[in-house]
Amino acid sequence: MLSFNIQFTGEFIAFFALAVCAIVGAVLALNFTKVVHMTLSLAFTFVSLAGLFVLLGAEFVAFVQVLLYVGAITILMIFGIMMTKHQGEGQEPSRPLRETLAAIGCVCLLLILIYAIRDAKFPGDAAPLPQDTTREIGKLLFTQMAIPFELVSVLLTVAFIGAVALAKREEDPQ
Amino acid sequence: MTVFAEYAWLVPVFPVAAFAVLIAMGRGAGRPGAWIGTLATLLSLILSLCIAGERISGKAEDYSAHYHWLQVGNISLSAGYEVTNLTSLMLVIVTLVSFLVNLYSQGYMRDDDRMPTFFAYMGLFTGSMLGLVLADNLLTMYIFWELVGVCSFLLVGFWFHKPEAKAAAKKAFIVTRIGDLGLLIAILLLFWYMPNHALDFSTLHNVFATQSGVIATGITTWIALLIFLGAVGKSGQFPLHVWLPDAMEGPTPISALIHAATMVAAGVFLVARTFDIFQASPAAMHTVAIIGAFTAIFAATIGLAQNDIKRILAYSTISQLGYMMLALGVGSMPAAMFHLFTHAFFKALLFLGAGSIIHGVHTQDIREMGGLGRKMKTTAWTFGIGALALSGIPPFAGFWSKDAILTAALDKQPILFVVGAVAAFFTALYMARLFFLVFTGNPRNDSHAHESPAVMTIPLVVLAVLAVVAGFVQTPFNGWFAEWLTGDKAVEHGSGLVMVVSAAIGLLGVYLGWLIYAKGAIRRDVVSSRMPGLVKLLENKYYIDELYHLLFVKPLYALGKVLNAFDDYVVDGVVRLAGQSATGLGRLNARLQSGQVQAYTLTALIGLVILALAIAGRRFW
Amino acid sequence: MNMLASYLTLAAVLFCIGLYGVITKRNAIIVLLSIELMLNAVNLNLVAFSKYGVHPSLTGQIFSLFTMTVAAAEAAVGVAILVAIYRNRASVNVDEFDELRR
Repeated sequence: MLSFNIQFTGEFIAFFALAVCAIVGAVLALNFTKVVHMTLSLAFTFVSLAGLFVLLGAEFVAFVQVLLYVGAITILMIFGIMMTKHQGEGQEPSRPLRETLAAIGCVCLLLILIYAIRDAKFPGDAAPLPQDTTREIGKLLFTQMAIPFELVSVLLTVAFIGAVALAKREEDPQ
Repeated sequence: MTVFAEYAWLVPVFPVAAFAVLIAMGRGAGRPGAWIGTLATLLSLILSLCIAGERISGKAEDYSAHYHWLQVGNISLSAGYEVTNLTSLMLVIVTLVSFLVNLYSQGYMRDDDRMPTFFAYMGLFTGSMLGLVLADNLLTMYIFWELVGVCSFLLVGFWFHKPEAKAAAKKAFIVTRIGDLGLLIAILLLFWYMPNHALDFSTLHNVFATQSGVIATGITTWIALLIFLGAVGKSGQFPLHVWLPDAMEGPTPISALIHAATMVAAGVFLVARTFDIFQASPAAMHTVAIIGAFTAIFAATIGLAQNDIKRILAYSTISQLGYMMLALGVGSMPAAMFHLFTHAFFKALLFLGAGSIIHGVHTQDIREMGGLGRKMKTTAWTFGIGALALSGIPPFAGFWSKDAILTAALDKQPILFVVGAVAAFFTALYMARLFFLVFTGNPRNDSHAHESPAVMTIPLVVLAVLAVVAGFVQTPFNGWFAEWLTGDKAVEHGSGLVMVVSAAIGLLGVYLGWLIYAKGAIRRDVVSSRMPGLVKLLENKYYIDELYHLLFVKPLYALGKVLNAFDDYVVDGVVRLAGQSATGLGRLNARLQSGQVQAYTLTALIGLVILALAIAGRRFW
Repeated sequence: MNMLASYLTLAAVLFCIGLYGVITKRNAIIVLLSIELMLNAVNLNLVAFSKYGVHPSLTGQIFSLFTMTVAAAEAAVGVAILVAIYRNRASVNVDEFDELRR
């Protein structure tokens, strides 16, 4: 089923290395016992993904990925970990039924997805993208995509205010 | 002249109205309320006497009236009443006995706090019987027939706090139900085969008596036998006689009413009313005669060995009803009606006298009585007259009617005559035993017996007079009764032989009883010491009850238990399974609702996989 | 066969790992991070399609940018909620959050 026609081009080798990094990071993230280790392991996965984006010719997206995920979200999570207590991690009773069911479900879903991917008919090699993608993205964002862009900025503002309101220490009733 | 006959419908209306009023007033009616019932039966009695007088004096036509009750397609059912000599005679018997019993009950039931209810039921009972007598077609008659059954159930079970009374009421109702079913089937057969689906008695008379061949002989026999089954149930003939002795658990006036005028007379009256059908079928006639004769001697022998005063009388009733059936079976309807007429008086007299005794000594066991003749003079005298009449001693009423039956039997079947004569001997013997044990000798318990109040003794005296004189309407020298009843001039000529034999048998029985139970010339255990098995057999009524219990009651109980178990475990089990599976499913689903988002996500994932597999799987088949 | 299938397969693998984490992990922070991983797998799909898709264009990349923005907002709000819950119940254990049943 997984018999891809492998051509050992440079792109493929790079893809293969980065993919292994991403998967190893993700799997390790689920197997560590300490929360900080998990977070850092996932940050490694995010960096690998940024590399894959570069490989796909999406330098701007890769840049934003590093900035946002590795820079912002992971740091945010670490702050969250610091603000909460994490004693007795990994000492809870295991839930074999749920874990087994989840594993079976996920594997089935994966098999179905792979089957669908293998089954799908994709056109041949892609038409080349413009060289300077960042400039093109900028142009698009400010012309064609102006309204979604502004809406996203509003969304970010709302999320920011909401996060502040939620996390704010409630005043004592006295 | 049909002045009073046109108002014949009022006869049953009075007691039924009294029933309605008393039931509406409830227990609050009190003792004065009970007089409403008595007054209503008195009115019915007066009207009945007027009707009968009109029919006896003038040559009144038969009168009938009916109205359309139901119209179904081209079949119409009607309800109506008919006044003939037969019905007017029955009206007089029923209302007279009912009135006297009512009067008597004023004294007998004085201390019962449900007295108005008692009189209400009695009113309905009388009214139903009168309706049955007056009905001009079989369907109407059947309705009243069932009403009579219901009333007997209510009255036999009147003291329902006694378990025996409850059981007896149920037994009376269920056993007669067997006969009622036969009657119903007979009516349906008639309805099916009769021209124009006519059920009224005049058409029946026309079809069966004058146009023979309209209905096949086989069908006629079936119809007659099924009608007879109904009569067997109501009149307590063998093999459905078992309810009648048990019905003694009811109040004694009710026993008098049931045995003399209402319930058991209905069976004989039914056969008399549909006599044309029987006459069209010799086989049915034979059956009636044989069953009647057998019942007569069968019940008389049981009566010899009983110790409960009311049960002795009950078996004598069965025996006497057997005589009536015998008379019908040998083709002498007038003799049967004559015996019904005289029997109504002396049997009512005997029961009311027994009630008076029970009222005085508070026991029903004749072995505990004795010497009552000195303390209860009126009761003793009247009871003695009744006993003589029942024993067939001339010149009392029973002699003449029994004589008529025996004469008819001798004409037809000498063997039936012999059976009837032997039964008459036993009758005289057990009545003598009863009388001498109760009224002569020394008191066998220390109760202070006393004479009953006048309201109870007056009916006794009236009935005693009737028991003496009622027989003279029809003697071998005077055929007025039969002529009046049937309209035929041809009456049987009595033979001196029968008269002599019958009188001699009766006297012999009484004398033997006197020798044994009063004088002590023959020891009482002369039979029981030699044949203990026979006495035991008689005391246990030939084990008929036990036999029925073994043959019918137990298998039916077993069947009921099996069906009940089936219902409990299979039907209910399925129902419980359905309920429990729903509950179990609900419990499972309730556990799924844990409130944990992760569990919900897992469920959603599994659902997604199943959906995807289902959709993807379609490709492969 | 081209690279597209490889990218899509990788994305599917990452998505399933993230899903497994969401379902089984007790710590709420790890659950949030697993959700980010799943979003990232989707982003990888979008970018891969923008290069190898039927109609290659930059729209896929722009869409992935929007997704990241939303993911950032979601992470911020999620951590804020987490902090608020922790303040009330002194726990970040998802097992103990069964408010939906009440």
